[in-house]
Amino acid sequence: MKKVFSLFMPVLFIILMNNCTYAQKKNKEEIKIKTSAVCSMCKDRIEQNLAFEKGISDVSLDVSSKIVTVKYNSKKTNPDKIRLAISKIGYDADEVPADKVAYGKLPACCKKDAPKH
Amino acid sequence: MKMLNIKIVIIILIIIIIQANRAISQFITGTVYEITNDQKKSSLPGANVFWINTTIGVSTDDKGNFKITKKNINDFRLVVSFLGYMNDTIKVNKDDTKLDIQLFTENKQIGEINIKENNGSYISKINPRQVQVITTTELYKAACCNLSESFETNASVDVSYSDAVSGAKQIQLLGLSGVYSQIQTENIPSVRGLASSFGLNYIPGSWMESIQIAKGTASVINGYESTTGQINVEYKKPANSEHLFVNLYANSNQRLEANILSAVKLTDKLSTMVMLHGDDFRNKFDRNHDSFMDQPKVTQYNIFNRWDYINNGKMVSRFGIKYLEEKRIGGMMNYDKNTFVLDTAAIRQATQNYGIEINTKRTEVFWKNGIMFPGKPYQSLGLILSGVNHEQTGNYGINIYDAKEKSMYANLIFQSIIVNTNHKYSVGLSYILDDYKENYIQTIFNYSGFTVTGNTIYNNNFNRQESVPGVFAEYTFNYMEKFTVIAGLRADYHNIYGAFLTPRLHLRYYINESTIIRASVGKGYRTANVIAENLSILASQRKLVFLETTKQEQAWNYGINMTKEFKLFNRKAEFDIDIYRTDFVNQVIVDMDSLTTEVFVYNLKGKSYSNCYQVQFTFEPVKSLTVLLAYRINDVKTTINNQLREKPFVNNYKGLVTLSYATKFDKWKFDITGQFNGTARLPEQKKMPVSLRRATKTPEYFILNAQITKKFKYYDIYLGGENLTNFTQNDPITQWQRPFHKHFDTSMVWGPIVGRVIYGGIRLTIK
Repeated sequence: MKKVFSLFMPVLFIILMNNCTYAQKKNKEEIKIKTSAVCSMCKDRIEQNLAFEKGISDVSLDVSSKIVTVKYNSKKTNPDKIRLAISKIGYDADEVPADKVAYGKLPACCKKDAPKH
Repeated sequence: MKMLNIKIVIIILIIIIIQANRAISQFITGTVYEITNDQKKSSLPGANVFWINTTIGVSTDDKGNFKITKKNINDFRLVVSFLGYMNDTIKVNKDDTKLDIQLFTENKQIGEINIKENNGSYISKINPRQVQVITTTELYKAACCNLSESFETNASVDVSYSDAVSGAKQIQLLGLSGVYSQIQTENIPSVRGLASSFGLNYIPGSWMESIQIAKGTASVINGYESTTGQINVEYKKPANSEHLFVNLYANSNQRLEANILSAVKLTDKLSTMVMLHGDDFRNKFDRNHDSFMDQPKVTQYNIFNRWDYINNGKMVSRFGIKYLEEKRIGGMMNYDKNTFVLDTAAIRQATQNYGIEINTKRTEVFWKNGIMFPGKPYQSLGLILSGVNHEQTGNYGINIYDAKEKSMYANLIFQSIIVNTNHKYSVGLSYILDDYKENYIQTIFNYSGFTVTGNTIYNNNFNRQESVPGVFAEYTFNYMEKFTVIAGLRADYHNIYGAFLTPRLHLRYYINESTIIRASVGKGYRTANVIAENLSILASQRKLVFLETTKQEQAWNYGINMTKEFKLFNRKAEFDIDIYRTDFVNQVIVDMDSLTTEVFVYNLKGKSYSNCYQVQFTFEPVKSLTVLLAYRINDVKTTINNQLREKPFVNNYKGLVTLSYATKFDKWKFDITGQFNGTARLPEQKKMPVSLRRATKTPEYFILNAQITKKFKYYDIYLGGENLTNFTQNDPITQWQRPFHKHFDTSMVWGPIVGRVIYGGIRLTIK
């Protein structure tokens, strides 16, 4: 049993490390961008896609206000790049309109003119 | 003053009476409707309208109108449900009296389960049967190369090793061999017949979208075979798959694997997909120094092309063709089929080498059609057609086993309702045609000491044709979404065993929002394919003896289970408990106990049963860390040679601990699985020479697997280890020094033969 626990220990260590390192990141900045998201599916799509863009550490979208809060490393990316990334997912990002091809691929319920649901 | 007082009292009384009256006559009336494609309002008769968490409810009349009381209601949430439409929960104001409710059609096929990707594995709440769903998220927790390796993180299914040379793995559900559970791919019979031994290896992990595991007897719609449960695999579908998916895998034993999947949407309705799988393992090694390879060399090519035609709300048609070729070579390290010569002098000197070779070619075709009726979302007509051609040739030492199978399956299902959706039914017809041709030529040597004095050749031919037409009906009664009964009955006519009935009953009851109780009882039947299901016999020198003609296997299965959700550490936790009993009416007994040099096959005389008790507890002690603890007791006994005894190779308990931790957006994932395996009885050893005798029981052992996954935008990288504590059974083969002698036996395998394996791979996705 001892052996078993000793093997589980590194995982707990990693978990703790992870929680600590989040707080220590440098060059960390935050930006709020107004999007054209309409539903929780849009929220999932934007968050899941944006989270894997270079330099972005956290994404959170509020569906009712359509505002996405992005935490990023200013050495690796900048607000313009983030807005462009949102556009490429198929959504407006502040003054940057949604990429037409990406917008066309969105399911009907996620388009800007979709009725409220 | 007095008058005034009386007046006031009267006024107050009147007010009270009026108020009370109002309270009594408080009803809500309204209509339930949908907006049809041509933008018209269409009322829905027979929809359920009820107050949440109560049994107070009504059904809408033929104009879609309803009237429901508000008396004694505290929680003013009204649930509206109708089969084929999405359920709706509406918050009603206390004073509302009129309410029109619009329902939206569900965009899913009947019988399909909606899968949420975020949940790795969960027990379906909606299903009246106990169904556990394993999604791709769960499958990705271990680099499962194929279906036989997909259950490592699952507490209900055990994976057992069948023998020490062929590399076949078999599953156990409820402590009984996988053949007693019905294994399907997209509701089409799949791993059965000749595929019983290696069939799980024919379904690559990367092709799977999800697996549903149902314990206990399943629906009569799918046939009479599922006794202990049903495992259904859904392959990835062309319409919602990535354009390109590539999975490359390699492990420290130099096993290489590649999967390439590509889906194309040709039109709005038509889409196609090609799946390719290649598997190559040609590194011979013998770490336990018994001169036998620890794992056979395997090469597999598997190709699958499927076409989907989906016309929403009208018709769904799915067609697919799958072809597989597999070659397995196992046995002694120095075995080479091309230079193999049988020499009795070499047998005496124990220098004769031994090897096995199995070549398989398998083709599967299926065509599934579903027709929906416009304006009647609760009604559908389905037709499933499928065919299998399986050819297998091989040798085990000098014993030869060749087999062919041709199978056909047809199932026609009509689903509808009686009056309203509280009463649903399915009726249909089915037909199964199985044609088996098996030939087993066994050579048994006679010895004087170790000198060969002669031999006897036994030529066993098993040709069997089964033709089974059947009819079935299933009725589902739903009471306010709180209580569900499914009663099913099917009648089949078997050309060999005659007519038989399969009754099945499932109940589900929501005690409250977080507690569900389910119960099931049912009968299951099957025909045993003795050799195909027990290939391990071939990899021994035991003489195969059929004492009588085997009869159809029959068993009753009873089960009860409870699921309870609650809050722990302020997060969702779940507790499940289930008890299942399987009681055999007839079973084909493969007796390896009576003699050590023979295996006897006969019908059950006496009792044979399996009792399984399982508890499972899932919780999240720290955010994003999911812990699963499970424990199962197996009590499986069979009458072997007139003695009721423990079934060999069934562990008396199993414990499972899994820890999963994911950072935000699953950028990093850490998964650890620990399996605790109890002891199992080994076949009788008393008649063995003392030098070859084994312990009567296997030791308890622990297996540890772990994996780390890093997710990037277009690809994932994974690195993991299996059997990290490097536990192996050190004596998998009895009398390995003399593989042609009568005590040679590779079937005494109860644990892993291969030790620690480190693997890594990449999954690439282009949407």
